[in-house]
Amino acid sequence: MKTKSRMLRPGDAGPAGPTPILVALGISIAAAVAVTVVYALGGQPQLEGALLGLALGGVAVALIVFARRMLPGGHFVQVREDLPGTADERASVSAAFSTGAEPIERRSLMVKMFGLAVGALGLAALFPVRSLGTRPGQSLRVTDWKRGTRVVTGNGEPVRLEEVDVNTILTVFPEDHPDSPDSQTILLRLPPSVPAPGPRDWTVEGVVAFSKICTHAGCPVSLYQAQSQELFCPCHQSTFSVAQGAKPTFGPAARRLPQLPIGVNDQGFVVAMGDFTEPVGPGFWSRPRD
Amino acid sequence: MRRGLAPLLLLLATVVAAGCGFLQREAEPYRPPVYYGPAEVAGAGVANPGEHLYLRDCSYCHGNDGKGTTRGPDLTVETNGGALTDFVLRTGRMPIADAVDQMEPGEPVYNEDEIDAIVSYVTTQFHAPGPEVPHVDLGKGKLAEGQQVYQEHCAACHATTGIGGAMLIHPDEDEPRKTRGIVIPNFERSGAQAVAEAVRTGPGSMPVFGTRAISDHELESLLRYMRYLKEPADEGGLPIGRVGPVVEGAVGWLVGLGLLLLVIRWIGTKAGEVE
Amino acid sequence: MINRASRWIDDRLSAASFTRHALNKVFPDHWSFMLGEVAMYSFVVLLLTGIFLTFFFDPSVAETTYEGSYAPLRGVKMSEAFRSTVELSFDVRAGLVMRQAHHWAAIVFIASLVLHMLRVFFTGAFRRPREINWIVGVTLFILAFFNGFSGYSLPDDLLSGTGLRIAYSIALSVPMIGSWLAFLVFGGEFPAHEIIPRLFITHVMIVPGLIIGLLTVHLAIIWRQKHTDFPGPGRRETNVVGSRLWPTYAINSIGLFFAVSAVLIAMGGLLQVNPVWLYGPFHPDQVTSPAQPDWWLGWTEGALRIIPSWEIRAFGFEIPNPFFAGALLPGITFGLLYLWPFIEARMTRDREPHHILDRARDRPVRTALGMTTLTFYAVLQVAASNDLIANKLAASVATITRVFQVLIILLPPLVGYVTYRLMKGLQVSRAERFSTVPLDAVLHPKRYNGASEERASEESEEPTTSS
Repeated sequence: MKTKSRMLRPGDAGPAGPTPILVALGISIAAAVAVTVVYALGGQPQLEGALLGLALGGVAVALIVFARRMLPGGHFVQVREDLPGTADERASVSAAFSTGAEPIERRSLMVKMFGLAVGALGLAALFPVRSLGTRPGQSLRVTDWKRGTRVVTGNGEPVRLEEVDVNTILTVFPEDHPDSPDSQTILLRLPPSVPAPGPRDWTVEGVVAFSKICTHAGCPVSLYQAQSQELFCPCHQSTFSVAQGAKPTFGPAARRLPQLPIGVNDQGFVVAMGDFTEPVGPGFWSRPRD
Repeated sequence: MRRGLAPLLLLLATVVAAGCGFLQREAEPYRPPVYYGPAEVAGAGVANPGEHLYLRDCSYCHGNDGKGTTRGPDLTVETNGGALTDFVLRTGRMPIADAVDQMEPGEPVYNEDEIDAIVSYVTTQFHAPGPEVPHVDLGKGKLAEGQQVYQEHCAACHATTGIGGAMLIHPDEDEPRKTRGIVIPNFERSGAQAVAEAVRTGPGSMPVFGTRAISDHELESLLRYMRYLKEPADEGGLPIGRVGPVVEGAVGWLVGLGLLLLVIRWIGTKAGEVE
Repeated sequence: MINRASRWIDDRLSAASFTRHALNKVFPDHWSFMLGEVAMYSFVVLLLTGIFLTFFFDPSVAETTYEGSYAPLRGVKMSEAFRSTVELSFDVRAGLVMRQAHHWAAIVFIASLVLHMLRVFFTGAFRRPREINWIVGVTLFILAFFNGFSGYSLPDDLLSGTGLRIAYSIALSVPMIGSWLAFLVFGGEFPAHEIIPRLFITHVMIVPGLIIGLLTVHLAIIWRQKHTDFPGPGRRETNVVGSRLWPTYAINSIGLFFAVSAVLIAMGGLLQVNPVWLYGPFHPDQVTSPAQPDWWLGWTEGALRIIPSWEIRAFGFEIPNPFFAGALLPGITFGLLYLWPFIEARMTRDREPHHILDRARDRPVRTALGMTTLTFYAVLQVAASNDLIANKLAASVATITRVFQVLIILLPPLVGYVTYRLMKGLQVSRAERFSTVPLDAVLHPKRYNGASEERASEESEEPTTSS
C-alpha cells in the first residue's frame, strides 16, 4: 500500500515553491496575447488552436499544481447519514399528501372524469404528429419512370444506345423528372459474351438497367466490378451479379435490384419501357411481394 | 511461475505483431528470366527494342501474336491499345509477378524509352481497337467542374479523399487461386497521364468511362482536381490519413481521451494511496 | 471582501448554512471518479463552441451556389447547410477551430461517457441506492449518442447524408409502423427536405436542454447520496473519505475543466476532423467509400455489415434486414443497460445498500459478463471497418467479413471465460496486478487457495511438480 502523506499546513509550499505555478500562468498569458495577435492578423487555425490550448493548459497546470502543493489533501472524513427517512417522516408525508381528501361528493366519478379528460387531451395532442409528414401511400411503390420516357444523365442530356460502351456504367434519370431520387437507375452494357438477364424485351443489345438504390439500406449501388459484372454497394458490401439479374451474391441484401425495362425509340435514344415492376430500395412491412 | 502472466502476454503480443507483419509483406517484384536492364537494351543496338522487349517479357503470358494464353488476356480486343499498354507499363502494373494476381501499382520496370517502344510495337502489330495514348493538358480544365466529375464518377470506388477502397472478388473455376480481393488504389503512383489512360480504358476491374460519361473537357477538369487531391488544402491541421471517422474516432480516444486520462491520473489518487 | 459579499447574499437568500455545508462536503479522490467530470466538461465545451456555430450555420436545404474562398467548390451548387459549413471553415476567422473543437469534443464526450459507464459498471456503483442515477446516466448516454449523430448530419455532406439514408431505411424497417415512422420523422420520401431543419432544432435545443436537465438531476443525486469509494484505509460503508469541496476539490475540478478545454481546442486547431469540403455536397445518387459513421455508431454499422441477409416474410408482411442490426440490437442493448441493476440484484439476491465499491476481482461473474458484452460490441465495432481492413491487407472483403462473423460467435465467450479465470486467480493469489498473477492460481484456483506461502517457498527451491 502506497502512502503519500501530504498533510501540509497552508503556506507549506513544497520544494519548488510557487515557481511552477507562476511559470505556467506566464506561459498562459503569453499564449493568450499571441492568439489575439494571430486573430487580428487574419487568423490561422493551427496557431489559434495551439495557442489557445497553451493558454488554457497553462491555467490548468497552475490550478492543479496549486491544489497539489498548497491545499489540504484528501484525508477528510464525513459521516454518511442513513438515507431512508424515519417511519414518522414517511407517515407525515402521506398525511400531508392526503389533506383535503375528507369525504367529497361523487369523488370517484370526478376522479375518473378528470382522468378521462387528461387522457383525451393527451390523445388529441398527439395528432399534430400527423402533420409532420406526408402519408406513405403509394410513394414507396412507384417511381417516376413511365413507358417512353427518355433516360437522361445528371446534366439532363439523353443517351443514345451507341454511346453506352461495353463495361461502361451511367447513372440515369427520367427526362421529365431529372431530380427524382427514387428513380435513379444504373445503365450499363454487358460484354457480348454475357447473356443479358431478364425478359428479352427489357434489354437492347446487352444494355441493361437496374435501380441504383440498394435493397438493403438504400445507399446508391455505385461500384461496378467490370470484369465479373458485379455491382457493389459501399455501405455494407452487398454484391449484385448483373448477369443473374442483379441477384445478391454476398452481403446483407436479401433481394435483387429491380430491373428497369428499356428499349430504343425511333431516334435511337434509350427509353424506359415502363416503371419498375417491384418497389425500389429497402424493404418495409407491407411491401408487395414480387 | 512467480513472474506470473507477464511472459505469456508478451508472447501473445509478439505473435500478433508477427502475424500482422507477415500479412503486410509485399510480393517480390517481377524480374523476367533474363533481365538485361535499360543500358543493355539501348546500348546493345537492338534493331527493334519494342519487339525485343515484348517477345522477351510479355509474350510468355500474352502470346507471340498478342492473342493471349491461359496466363494472360488477349491484347487485340476491347479497350486494349496504346493508352492501356502505356498505363500498365508506366504504373508498374505490368509485368506482373504472378499471373493469378490482380494488377497492383508499383515501381515501373522500364524507362520512358522502353515504354514508348513497347507501346508503339503493340499498337502497330496488334491493331487493337482501344484508344491511343492521350495528350493531357491540365491548363484547360476547371477545378470546380473536376470536383463534380470526380464526386459523380470516381468517389464511390476511390473515396472522396482519394485514398482508395476495396471490393470483393469471387474465385472462379478458371482461377480458383484468385482469392485476393480487389484493392482499389489511391493515386500515389498515378500521374495525370496514367489517370487519363485509366479513365478511357477501364483497366482491370475498373469500368470504362467513354466520352459520353466524361467528355474530353470534363476529363481535363477531372485531372486538375485530382492533382489538387494529391495535396489538398488541409486547412484543419494534420489530415491523419484522410480516412474518415474510423481514424478520427481512434485519434479521439488515443490522443484526446488518452491525454485527459493522464491528467486525471495526475490530479486524483490511485488505488491504495492515502493523501 | 469575501465576508462582505457573503453577508450581502446571505441577507437576501439566507444561504449561509447551506454554503457552509456545501463547502465542507467531502468527495473521494480516486482518479477514475473524474471520468464523469471529463464528460461533463467536454459537454460544456460542446455548448460553448456550439453556440458560436449556431451564429453561422444555416439549417436549410435550399439550393445555392458557393462563392467563397475554397476554389474547388466555387460555382458548385449545394444546400445552404453545406455552404454555410464550408464558409464557416474557410471564410470565418476561428470558424474552423471552433467547428473542429466541437467535433473533437463530441468524440471525447461520448468516449469518456463510455469509460465512465464502464467504471460504474465494473465497480458495482449502480447498486442500491444508486439505481435511479444509473437510469438517469443511461438516458444521458442515449441522448449524447443521438445528438452526436444529428450533429454530424447537419452539414448535409456526402458522407453524413449516406448515414441519414441508412437511418431512414432502419426507420422504414420497423414492423407495422415503419413507413409512417420514416415519413413523419423525415417529412416524406427520402431525401425529404424537412430533416435538416428538424435535426437542427433537436440538436441545438431539445436534446441539449434534456441533457442539461438530466445532468443536473444526476449531480443532485450524487450530492444527496454522497459519492461511493473504493475499499481502503479508514473507508467504511458509513463514511466518505476524501477532499473537501472547498478549496481542494473545486480547484482541482476547475483545473480539470481548463485541461479538457485546452486539449479539445488544441485538437480543434491541430488535427483535422470531418473535412466536409473534401466529401462534397450530398446527392442522393452518389456515395463515397469507404463509408463509416462516427465512432459511437460503429457497433450498429458493424452489425449491419456482418449480419447475414436474413429477412422475415410471412402472411404478406416482411421484416427487412436492417431492422435486426439497426433497431432490434440497439433496443436490446439499451434495454439491458437500463435493467442491469435490477437483473443483478435479482441474480445475486443482494438488495442491501452499498457505498463501498467492488474491485473487478471481487465479482468475477459480473466482470466476466461485462467483458463478454464489451468484446461483443468491440468485435462489431471493428467489423464496421471491414473494407478498410480488406484494403490494407489486400484481402477479399468477403473473407474479412466471414472472419468477423466467426469472431462474433467465438470471441466473446472466450474472453468471458478467460476473464472469469483471471479474476478468480487474482482473488485466490491476492496479487496486485494481473500480470503478476501466478499461472498456478489461474489454472488451479481451488488447490492454490490457502497454500500460497508454502507453495512460494517450495517453488524457489525445486521445480514444481505441477500438473
